[in-house]
Amino acid sequence: MTLSEKIGLRATITQGGLMENHKVIGQRVVRSDYLAKVTGQACYSADLKLPGMLVAKVLRSPYAHARILAIDVSPALKIPGVKAAVSGQDGYGVKWGVFRYTQDHDMLPTDKVRYVGEDVAAVAAIDEETALEALHAIKVEYEPLPAVFDPVAAMAPDAPQIHDAYPGNINVHVHIDVGDVESAFRESFIVREDTFRAAGEAYAMMEPYAVVAHYNSGYLDFWMPNAGPHVRAKALSNLLQIPLNRVRVRHIFSGGAFGGRSEVAPGDFITALLSMKSGKPVKLVLSREENAISSRQVHDIVATIKTGVKQDGTILAKEFKAIYNGGAYSSTGPIAASIPYYVYEEAYRFPNVKYDGYRVYTNKGIRGMYGCHGRAFLAGNEVQLDMIAKDLGIDPMDIRIKNGLTLGEKTATKSWITSGNLAEPTQKAAEKAGWSSKRGKLPKNKGIGMGCVAIMTGFPMGFRSSSSCYVKLNDDGHATVVTGIVDNGQGNDSMAVQIASEILGLPMEDINLVSADTEVTNLDPGAYSQAATFAGGNAVKKACEHARNQILALASEKLNEAVEDLDLQNKMVICRKNPEKKMPISWITREAFFRAKPIAGIGSYIPKIDFDREWISKPFGQMAGTYSFGTSVAEVEIDEETGKITMPHFVTAHDCGKAINPMAVEGQMEGSVQQAGVAAITEGNLWDEGFLLNPDLLEYKVPLACDMPDIETIIVESNDPEGPFGAKEGGLTVRMNAYSAVACAVSNALGVQFSELPLTPDRILEMIEKKGGDK
Amino acid sequence: MILPEFEYKKPKVIKKALQLFQANRGDAVYLSGGTDLVPRIKQRLEKPSIVIDLKNISSLNKIELSRSWLKIGANVTIYELKNHPFVKDNLPALADSLEATACETIQMRGTIGGNVLQNTRCLFYNKSDEWRKAKGYCLKMGGQVCNAVKGAKMCFANYTSDNAPALITLETQVRLSGVDGSRQIPLAAIFSGKSDRPFTLQPGEILTHIFIPANKTRGCYLKIRVRDSIDYPLVGAAASLKNGNGCLAIGGIGAKPLHFDFDETEDGWGERIAREAASHVTPVANTVLSPTYRKKMVYVLVKRIVRKLSGEGC
Repeated sequence: MTLSEKIGLRATITQGGLMENHKVIGQRVVRSDYLAKVTGQACYSADLKLPGMLVAKVLRSPYAHARILAIDVSPALKIPGVKAAVSGQDGYGVKWGVFRYTQDHDMLPTDKVRYVGEDVAAVAAIDEETALEALHAIKVEYEPLPAVFDPVAAMAPDAPQIHDAYPGNINVHVHIDVGDVESAFRESFIVREDTFRAAGEAYAMMEPYAVVAHYNSGYLDFWMPNAGPHVRAKALSNLLQIPLNRVRVRHIFSGGAFGGRSEVAPGDFITALLSMKSGKPVKLVLSREENAISSRQVHDIVATIKTGVKQDGTILAKEFKAIYNGGAYSSTGPIAASIPYYVYEEAYRFPNVKYDGYRVYTNKGIRGMYGCHGRAFLAGNEVQLDMIAKDLGIDPMDIRIKNGLTLGEKTATKSWITSGNLAEPTQKAAEKAGWSSKRGKLPKNKGIGMGCVAIMTGFPMGFRSSSSCYVKLNDDGHATVVTGIVDNGQGNDSMAVQIASEILGLPMEDINLVSADTEVTNLDPGAYSQAATFAGGNAVKKACEHARNQILALASEKLNEAVEDLDLQNKMVICRKNPEKKMPISWITREAFFRAKPIAGIGSYIPKIDFDREWISKPFGQMAGTYSFGTSVAEVEIDEETGKITMPHFVTAHDCGKAINPMAVEGQMEGSVQQAGVAAITEGNLWDEGFLLNPDLLEYKVPLACDMPDIETIIVESNDPEGPFGAKEGGLTVRMNAYSAVACAVSNALGVQFSELPLTPDRILEMIEKKGGDK
Repeated sequence: MILPEFEYKKPKVIKKALQLFQANRGDAVYLSGGTDLVPRIKQRLEKPSIVIDLKNISSLNKIELSRSWLKIGANVTIYELKNHPFVKDNLPALADSLEATACETIQMRGTIGGNVLQNTRCLFYNKSDEWRKAKGYCLKMGGQVCNAVKGAKMCFANYTSDNAPALITLETQVRLSGVDGSRQIPLAAIFSGKSDRPFTLQPGEILTHIFIPANKTRGCYLKIRVRDSIDYPLVGAAASLKNGNGCLAIGGIGAKPLHFDFDETEDGWGERIAREAASHVTPVANTVLSPTYRKKMVYVLVKRIVRKLSGEGC
């Protein structure tokens, strides 16, 4: 059977419906992590205190680009209270890269520094004051080199070379070519080309990066906010030349990730070296400013978009050139240079398409993946589509629905859509927002706009795409669930507990979750690429079903009833036909121990992905397990004198497959409106060459709760055939379409296309003036 | 970022505070709410060896209304002041500016004295010592040139109190206490006009009280900011009117609030002061919005205030 036949079969099942009568799934349950968080009991990395723990501080590069001639940390060691000092000379010469072909990052460089704020050397001392004093004693001799900050300038033939192995400073070039774009443009009724720009954003997690490393008897323990402990542990095992089972990344609460905490950080490596040298646990906590300057942040992007359509609005061809300012190192290079394109082709039908994404090295801080990544590209596409619709006299909603993908179709790069479609969230959001009574009918300076996207749920991470779970039933009838799932605040832990509760018939409080600890839990992709519910949740479900079957088999014997007539409800095994006939689950678990066959379930899941697919060498085939569709509608009002935007109303519809906890999904959606939508007005990194001018939360304008618009969320449930209980992911479409809705609404209000994000009031006035000039 | 070590004293009387300062000249700073000072110390923009906390000086904590003055102790918080009935009913420009200051939690901590005496700010200045050292110290940090306006031999940091412009329009006076006794001067006279050293106070002088004439006024304060919930003014404009005589003040740009008198009966006064104010400001690229935009906004905000005062609404 071909893949398409398999998918076709699955699609039929979906349409037939999978609705079941769930007891816990779909309920607005209180999340299992809330009590610890609201009472302040939740412990974060910076809170940790271990006996004899030392404080680490990092010496950072003052230069954007300079050769390191010499580093001498020995004067620091002479300061009383300093227990260890390290530089790149203490490393093992292994460079980090997400891919074999992007291994360019020496966590402590020995040859050159490539950005202001790069980690150069570090000390561990008995307290922070001593550590700071010791930093001043370290001697580094630099030879400053010419630097380059703009990616277009960096690609010029005479530009300074940042890495010898990457000529022209091109870190990654993603090239996709489907159909015949040139002919399609010739056949098009309208062809339009525009260029859009956006400043990179800061992740601005509320918890700045912190790490504790403890090396003891050849074993290394870590605690740090991370989105994937297993991926992190493997990277550290490579960098430190220690076997994987001696590198243990342990569970800790995390104050946000947003895509930015999946990779190993220089601080992990540095604290490990310091702990190995001193024999003591070592803690490093970055300041807000250090966090912004030295940890990975978000790409500046310039996107040129050319679109050809038929007279009826059907998209015939798209041609894209996107340039990503990657900063000094690769990070997630090929992924970052691809994702904006993919989440767009997953939403719309492109019979002919050409995409060239260049991620370019510059002497800025390292740029990584972000939940809202690609706003210049995505908002640019959506605004351009509005302009085309206007020229054709078509409603922008209709042109989106017309070109939107649906169940059973394939994306341009050959991924099947196995549940949902773009039309449903689009229609639902439009209806709730009063689209048809508003679009084109609002008074001057008021506008309404729509942004659409579709997101992959789990993308190819090789064998690391799989998740496994182990569940054991204890002698009191309670359960312990062990999984590599990571919770960075989005509610993944609670999701796992809720699934276990449903399957095992136990209240959520009877289930203890042991998660994200690499020496206890099995390999897991982590909270990355929207895989937690789809892969991790599926594994939990399968493990619990495995345990459930064991309970039912024993109960069948004890109650003398057929397995299929039994159910698990509220800590009891119950006979469906005769509810009076029942037995506590704890009796079964005890009986199982007597028989030396304890109730223990295992379950694993790997998404049905084409694992031959590769970001650069083979960008075709099934990209992900499934796709979620989403549409946002923003309303704005613009003060034409000051350029100030207010956003009275925001509606967003997201197809999460099935909302395991609707409250958690709504929370994700609302947060995403803020993080992408309101941020489209306020957020952007400001630079003076290699210096970040707003590395703080005062000048980097993260909107606060009182800056939020009135938000209406609509959960669409397409019941994915593969997802656990039909679930996909919990709200990422909003992170990647909210800015488009805002940019489209602003462009609608002013009757002029935006060209750069964020839409700060000075840019809005420029737009108004440009429009005046156009008249 | 941790605070460096310093000695901490909390005297109960002004005289003791002055003595402590004199005994540690050059190394002492006064602390009230701390919302401006503490981040400055963390960033090593101040390196005091002793911090003299004024919060225990009870004479600075009161608001008193007499026939001629509203007398406000420097330690009165922004929040307390904005909720004072006389301010609400009679001083609308100040009521607006207090409301527009930071956010409510900071208003509960920050004091009016500290708000008026806050140091000037610049994107290139309010940073850690490591950041500034890497960039090269600017004029305000003892360097040779400005980092915001490349090569300039002058500092352009912005004075960003929301309340000082409003207070100036109300003909506010301040009482300063020093070792040589106390003096009362117009608020506008405490500004040097130099962004790198914005105040004319003698070393150790304490701003103890603020005196606002106890008159009923009309007026308002408007500000430009990117984030409504909490932001310093990128431009602030205040105006107050009493018996047809008015004063306009512009803050958020340059070393001090600029102020302009006007007469409501004069023909075309609104357009005149709006143009005059816009022509006098010299914003530079040292905030998150462009200087051209900020200059334009001076005109826009003043015209709005004029419309409001003329009863046309903002």
